[in-house]
Amino acid sequence: MAETAQPRPMDAHTQDSATRRDFLQIAATALTGIGAAIAVWPLIDSMNAAQDTLAAGAPLDVDISHLQPGQQIVVLWRSKPIFIVNRSAAELQTLQEPQVAGLLRDPQSEVEQQPPYAQNWHRSIKPGLLVLVGICTHLGCIPEFKPAPGGDLGAAWPGGYFCPCHGSRYDLAGRVFSGVPAPYNLPVPPYTFISDAVVRIGENPPGSSFDLDSVVQL
Amino acid sequence: MTGPGNQSQSKLVRWIDHRLPIFTFMQHELHDYPTPRNLSYWWNFGSLAGIMLVIMIVTGIFLAMQYTPYSPLAFDSVERIMRDVNYGWLMRYIHMNGASFFFMVVYIHIFRGLYYGSYKEPRELLWMLGVVILLLMMATAFMGYVLPWGQMSFWGATVITNLFSAIPVVGHAIVAWLWGGFAVANPTLNRFYSLHYLLPFVIVGVVVLHLVALHQHGSNNPLGIDRKGPQDSIPFHPYYTIKDMFGLSVLLIVYALFVFYMPNALGDTQNYVQANPLQTPPEIVPEWYFLPFYAILRSVPDILFIPAKLAGVLCLFGAIGVLFVLPWLDTSRVRSARFRPVYKWVFWLLVADVVALGICGAHRPEGWYITTGRIATLYYFIHFIVLLPVIGWLERPLPLPTSISAAVTRKGGAALAGAAPSMEKH
Amino acid sequence: MRAPVLAAAGLALAALAAAPALAQEQPSIPTQSWSFDGPFGTFDRAAAQRGFQVYEEVCSRCHSMNLLHYRDLEGIGYDGAQIAAIAANHQVTDGPNDQGQMYQRPGRPSDAFVAPFPNEQAARVALNGALPPDLSLIIKARADSSLTKDIGGGADYVDALLQGFKEPPAGMTMAANMNYNEYFPGNQIAMPQPLHGDDVQYGDGTKATLPQEAHDVATFLAWASEPMMEERKRTGAKVLIFLLAMAGVLYAAKRQIWADVH
Repeated sequence: MAETAQPRPMDAHTQDSATRRDFLQIAATALTGIGAAIAVWPLIDSMNAAQDTLAAGAPLDVDISHLQPGQQIVVLWRSKPIFIVNRSAAELQTLQEPQVAGLLRDPQSEVEQQPPYAQNWHRSIKPGLLVLVGICTHLGCIPEFKPAPGGDLGAAWPGGYFCPCHGSRYDLAGRVFSGVPAPYNLPVPPYTFISDAVVRIGENPPGSSFDLDSVVQL
Repeated sequence: MTGPGNQSQSKLVRWIDHRLPIFTFMQHELHDYPTPRNLSYWWNFGSLAGIMLVIMIVTGIFLAMQYTPYSPLAFDSVERIMRDVNYGWLMRYIHMNGASFFFMVVYIHIFRGLYYGSYKEPRELLWMLGVVILLLMMATAFMGYVLPWGQMSFWGATVITNLFSAIPVVGHAIVAWLWGGFAVANPTLNRFYSLHYLLPFVIVGVVVLHLVALHQHGSNNPLGIDRKGPQDSIPFHPYYTIKDMFGLSVLLIVYALFVFYMPNALGDTQNYVQANPLQTPPEIVPEWYFLPFYAILRSVPDILFIPAKLAGVLCLFGAIGVLFVLPWLDTSRVRSARFRPVYKWVFWLLVADVVALGICGAHRPEGWYITTGRIATLYYFIHFIVLLPVIGWLERPLPLPTSISAAVTRKGGAALAGAAPSMEKH
Repeated sequence: MRAPVLAAAGLALAALAAAPALAQEQPSIPTQSWSFDGPFGTFDRAAAQRGFQVYEEVCSRCHSMNLLHYRDLEGIGYDGAQIAAIAANHQVTDGPNDQGQMYQRPGRPSDAFVAPFPNEQAARVALNGALPPDLSLIIKARADSSLTKDIGGGADYVDALLQGFKEPPAGMTMAANMNYNEYFPGNQIAMPQPLHGDDVQYGDGTKATLPQEAHDVATFLAWASEPMMEERKRTGAKVLIFLLAMAGVLYAAKRQIWADVH
């Protein structure tokens, strides 16, 4: 940058000093540039999640002792709605019917949208209790809980979730239907049972490790 | 004119420059811009002030992303920045100490201008724009200091806004309007936050005007004589870019010593106590850069029919107002104090006077400090209103050198034409 | 140019010297040596943990530390399990629950330190009208403004204050419920002497003398005021080394470029 096309009286100088001049000026420019670049990092990093935000994302204990079959509660964990459903025997039966599986895009939960311990037909640890991140994998709206079969969602509706934004549909295991905008099943967060009555969202069962950030679509 | 168009390798540069001549502009204003060859390190402080402004704006924008301008939460949100936000402490300490360093740099810049007569014809508007920048800086710094909502924030805001109540008839209405309520409270904090974010960009605008005015006639220099020809100047780049960069690195070292090793040395401990409208701290002291003005405010007694409170406020604003008319108060046609044997002494007396005012401002106005404060205040105005015009008439300046190059090189101007390619093409 | 500068400097100095020394009623605060002094100072973890114990068992009966969270204790060397245990020792008000009621639950690491009183009025009514200040920033709020002492000045003050309780001098009338402290501005402090020695049983076997407790609690409070101090000083060393190198190279380059002109 410093050496421009303008004529400089170089005759008096030896080749040596010209090299030294170049080196010094390149070093000066480089150091200044490096310094400026380093100084930018704290500014960028300050926009990452702060310590209090991260701490507030710690695992959350939820009391499920009052949750009756067929009911859902929604809790907020890491600013996301978490659906917790106590599925009835009839609903679990529906999940296993072959004609329902035929309507789904990923009935076997092959895409990593859940921890390994929830990669089964009921997408959960205990078959009855479903835990989902309630965010549509299409564009982030919150699907509505529509557990009753049929109704205004059509005679074939087996019960599940319906996203009001663009009509995406999921069954009661959070598995997405074919032919709707959402591409993936609803994610299952890490969770574990502290007791029969308390489920801890955000912590894996002993021996497992699963990070919610590793799912394909959140 | 050797624009980049005819020597640049890049077709893209030429394409752009033909439509938007930014490269020609930069070539002209940075590269070719002829600058006196004899500028001392005192001339670094202008560009340093510009860099401080950038540092303040950049850290300020990122701090604003984390700050909450709501009185019950403001104090805690600043502490959250210090404790929980990644590098929040660094940004905050840079910003907090940056105010002090910005003022320090600008004060040196101003006193340099006073010593070398940089405000004289044809640079009067350049100087006055600088005074506008100073005023805007003071307003911005004052409102920024309120934002952490500590004890000194709150009581400083209370005392300073109350200054306006000295205005006859409409004073109290103005103060209530400034507060947006019955006292300094959340509405005040909110508007100060808004304005603290806005004013720096107004400063940027005035700085641009300041630079346009500067580039019209170029920099003054330690000799205070005009450039007489190409042999007196050198291109700004690389000579002054490298010199400014070196000066910057020195400033940053001192700045870093404060930020990393004594970050609270220039602040007030009381501002680590949350604002309490029911308890005034034992002493309300502004930041050091306002102390001389604060001393003037408090020193002034009743003057004839003007009550002390109003007189103090008038003198406070007069202290800056007098700088606006300085170019016409100084009657000497010689710029640099180097050739003004009497003014040289008076200049340093003014420096001592301002320091003395600062010391008075830091102490309770009792006994000795009142006397000194009054004398120093009086002298401040005498300096500008009496001494400058009179000295200009009576003083016999030393003979001025014939040219810059003759004065600064052993061999005189002749040897230079080849050594420093002149870019003077006006 | 030199003569006027000297004259001006002399004037300013004379102004300073002539300033009447404000009558100091308090004895000057003894300067201590702290682990966190100096450009490479760090917080003595053991002392800070002992100080935290003193805070927990004595100070926290009256003083809140609202800006601290149990998770922050990692900074003075507690591990995750210890922090969880410390937090769980405190009952935190949370809610509302499904019945619309607030309820108590054991603390979590992400909780702020539980305050002894729910609000200012509750504190005042319980403490003869006095309001114990929050201690989160007490070291920085009391630090003297000397340029180089950083947070050490505030620690000196707290250390001295805790040991400064004495019988009032003869002839001094104390206001009701006030106690004499030789380092407290005005000498009359609402806080009764909080530490007497052997107020706690230190787990590490250190003898809990009054000076020891005062020193430990001041160390803990210094950390609480400025928990980022170690990172600040470490970063500062790196930044300064870089800047010095940069200044050197820039100076050399400046000399090079200007060689033609001089």
